[in-house]
Amino acid sequence: MNKRYVMVHDENKCIGCQACNVACRSENGTPEGVTRLQVRVEGPFGDAPNLHFKYHRVSCQQCEDAPCVKVCPTGAAYVGEDGIVTIKEDKCVGCMYCVAACPYKVRFVNPETKATDKCNFCKDTRLARGELPACVTVCPTDALTFGDANEPDSEVAKLLNTKPSYQDKTHLGTKPRVYRIPTKRGGIES
Amino acid sequence: MIKLDRRNFLKGAGAGSATCALATMLPGSLAALEKEPLKAVGKEVASICEMCSTRCPISARVVDGKNVFISGNKEAKSFGGKVCARGGAGHSLLYDPQRIVNPLKRVGERGEGKWAEISWDEAYEMMSTNLNRIKREHGPEAVAFSSKKGSLSGHFFHLAKAFGSPNTFTHGSLCPGAYVIAAKSMFGTKLKRDLGNSKYIINFGHNIYEGINMSETRGMMKAQSERGAKLVVFEPRFSVVADKADEWHAVRPGTDVAVALALCHVLITDKLYDQAFVERYVVGFDAFAAEVKAYTPEWAEGITDVKAKDIRRIAYELAAAAPHAVVDFGHRATFTTEEFDMRRAIFAANVLIGNIERKGGLYLGKKAKTYNKLAGETVAPKLAKPGVEGMPKPTAKRIDQMDKQYTMVWKNGGVYQSILAATLEAKPYQLRGWVMSRTNPMQTMTDRAKVLEALKKMEFVAVCDVYISETAAYADLILPESTYLERDEEIADKSGKNPAYYVRQRVVETIGNTKPSWQIFKEVGDALGLSKFYPWENMETLQLAQMNRDGKALRHIREKGYVSYGKPLMLREPSMVAKFIDTYANARTPDDDGTYASALKFKTPSGKIELSSAAVEAFAPGRGVIQYRDAPLKRADELYFIQGKVAVHTNGATHNVPILANLMADNAVWIHPVTAGRLGINHGDAIRLTSSVGSETSYAMVTPGIRQDTVFAYMGFGSKNKELIRASGKGLHCGNLLPDSTAPVVGMNLHTTGVKVEKV
Repeated sequence: MNKRYVMVHDENKCIGCQACNVACRSENGTPEGVTRLQVRVEGPFGDAPNLHFKYHRVSCQQCEDAPCVKVCPTGAAYVGEDGIVTIKEDKCVGCMYCVAACPYKVRFVNPETKATDKCNFCKDTRLARGELPACVTVCPTDALTFGDANEPDSEVAKLLNTKPSYQDKTHLGTKPRVYRIPTKRGGIES
Repeated sequence: MIKLDRRNFLKGAGAGSATCALATMLPGSLAALEKEPLKAVGKEVASICEMCSTRCPISARVVDGKNVFISGNKEAKSFGGKVCARGGAGHSLLYDPQRIVNPLKRVGERGEGKWAEISWDEAYEMMSTNLNRIKREHGPEAVAFSSKKGSLSGHFFHLAKAFGSPNTFTHGSLCPGAYVIAAKSMFGTKLKRDLGNSKYIINFGHNIYEGINMSETRGMMKAQSERGAKLVVFEPRFSVVADKADEWHAVRPGTDVAVALALCHVLITDKLYDQAFVERYVVGFDAFAAEVKAYTPEWAEGITDVKAKDIRRIAYELAAAAPHAVVDFGHRATFTTEEFDMRRAIFAANVLIGNIERKGGLYLGKKAKTYNKLAGETVAPKLAKPGVEGMPKPTAKRIDQMDKQYTMVWKNGGVYQSILAATLEAKPYQLRGWVMSRTNPMQTMTDRAKVLEALKKMEFVAVCDVYISETAAYADLILPESTYLERDEEIADKSGKNPAYYVRQRVVETIGNTKPSWQIFKEVGDALGLSKFYPWENMETLQLAQMNRDGKALRHIREKGYVSYGKPLMLREPSMVAKFIDTYANARTPDDDGTYASALKFKTPSGKIELSSAAVEAFAPGRGVIQYRDAPLKRADELYFIQGKVAVHTNGATHNVPILANLMADNAVWIHPVTAGRLGINHGDAIRLTSSVGSETSYAMVTPGIRQDTVFAYMGFGSKNKELIRASGKGLHCGNLLPDSTAPVVGMNLHTTGVKVEKV
């Protein structure tokens, strides 16, 4: 695999407006009642007046060592040549092992296809057309950056090299490819 | 805060499927039609959004005949090709089974929810019979026409004028009117904010990170994240904009004016203000300076709970960043009845730092006429206004025209809520008919019970909308408008620092039996026997007339969707003027300082900025000079009740749109832990809020992000009509708690009141 697609979510720039959530639904035809992507606005934390919210992107982390792929008995959950973890609908038997195994709780059974579903960086739709994922395309404050981290000149590579970032639940060894630039209270880091 | 999890989504899904059964029973709704795939008009169509009144440029593409993927139109640079959650959800409105796609006639009592489908011919017959009867018996002025200000309100008010009624109203006095009136009294025109280039931004609760206005939201984020701008926010609630600020001051509700005046006091007393600017461009400075002498930061601290030393420091920081600094004049009001002086005091602070027509400050819109004149050539085509000859002049006065203090409001949307007294008390005379287009006063006007009473007393009510809104539920006749994704409209002026035009265009073919409102009101005109006032055939002929029959220029605009002409220009910014002169050989010769400062004129009686206004003094005695007046908002044993916008909904309009309703269906009440503890309220408890006019229930969200003496709820929820199935009965209805109170001079509806809170 020579590509390493990653998503960077800058929590300083994110305003929790859900534009990403809605764009994702429109592009991927996500049915009512389930979601591939949401941003939870959590908090406020701290003591007034020094409060802050946390803008928490909840979506598939595109783990490099993905528990969902490991537990899938049929090979429906698989890693593509582009490194993106995705689902072959016709191979899915709906056992929901992957739903249980996902430490980020972002997999669900699509009520229309009856197969499990989740964010795949718009692999079949926008990426296939050479476009950016829906969420990145519409984000009003440019809080999302997507690209190939193996490409040194890519925006994501530059961002990860110059700004502090973290990933969720790294202690599990899943190597998530959603990076987060943490909120810096008292203004936005430039 | 928006907390979304899988459980809530599943809950939403359950409610959704339950409502489908009901929706199919609603006559005239989309659910009554057989579901057909969406028919795209083109591959990717550039158009204009209508999910809120900001009207951002968009680009839309039909996905698999089912969805429309909407992003921003990249031609509009300051909008960045971006779209918000509401804008992205346009197809959810388009295909909402509960959208009305056939004219409906009331068959039960008003508000009973019994409807029958009728043909357009029958609808027009009803309009002409009722309106012409009222006109014959009581005069045309007995019919009020009200509309959301926007793309098609011009067509609607054209009908009112042709009919002969002076009583036309926009939503201005319920939402953004105050800053417009304040700006016009001081500058003779509206002003725009250059947030993107600002180094220091003071914000009085203008939450553009939740009430998203794409170019401004992006501008402020750019200033903050790329240019190191400092943002200072004064707001009683810890909003998203407060979260992103460098400083958040939890100001006492309604006292922002005292902070603004104290800032002016420090700027003047400590001689931090731009004396050369004031000398050259301002009248009425001395009277203002004499008035603000008493408004020390220490005085303000006692009123606002903001520390005097902070106000003083902020004034110094503001002056240090001047002129590339701005005090944001806000949008939706009205915090108190002293709204006029609140907005004027903010503008005054901007004038004192001399930021007018400077980067990062305030500026005047530059339309083709102004821009071409400065350039010495035709850079941008001028939009022609196809006039209609012989339009009747109303013989009666407007209902809000009896009180002279509202002089400036008459031509700027009117005092909308004056419909209430005219209907219920015949003050100044009796209204008998009410025609509305895309306006929802049952949500957005204050004192819901009174609005309801007025609707019930009307002899005839007709509403043009896409839903049976809370207001339409009380209509006799509903005229279903096509959604914006199905409409072509006129070229609209979007000029900022340079001229720009954009246009709304059809993305999909019309679903059902709806029409664009320009066509509806033209055909109503025909039915009323007013055809001679409608010399145009369709939108294409109107667009061509606008472009002076220049088909090529029109095609260019239609293809791009948004066209900007020339380079950004601010008259007092040397670098921008230099670029302008380089570009246009015949451009106006700059002044000695390399600017166009001498071209800066104001459309006020004096031609200058009127910091104090003799004109205002004449129609509103005692109001010429900005001053502080105490404006009590609550009793001692009550809490302040304030509201605001949320990023996933638009005031009174989007709460039934499926995708958005699933994201947020109700509005919890923000209450401070100390206050909640005192009242025995826990997080999630059902609570009742009672004000002088009404009582509403919701549930408590206990959070430190609010003052102890204040409760907050997002606006627009708690609809009470059964037709809006996803929104009905969910959360609290703000309008049902706010009293019918109108602010002097600006004519604004008051948006703050006192409430008692109890656990239920």
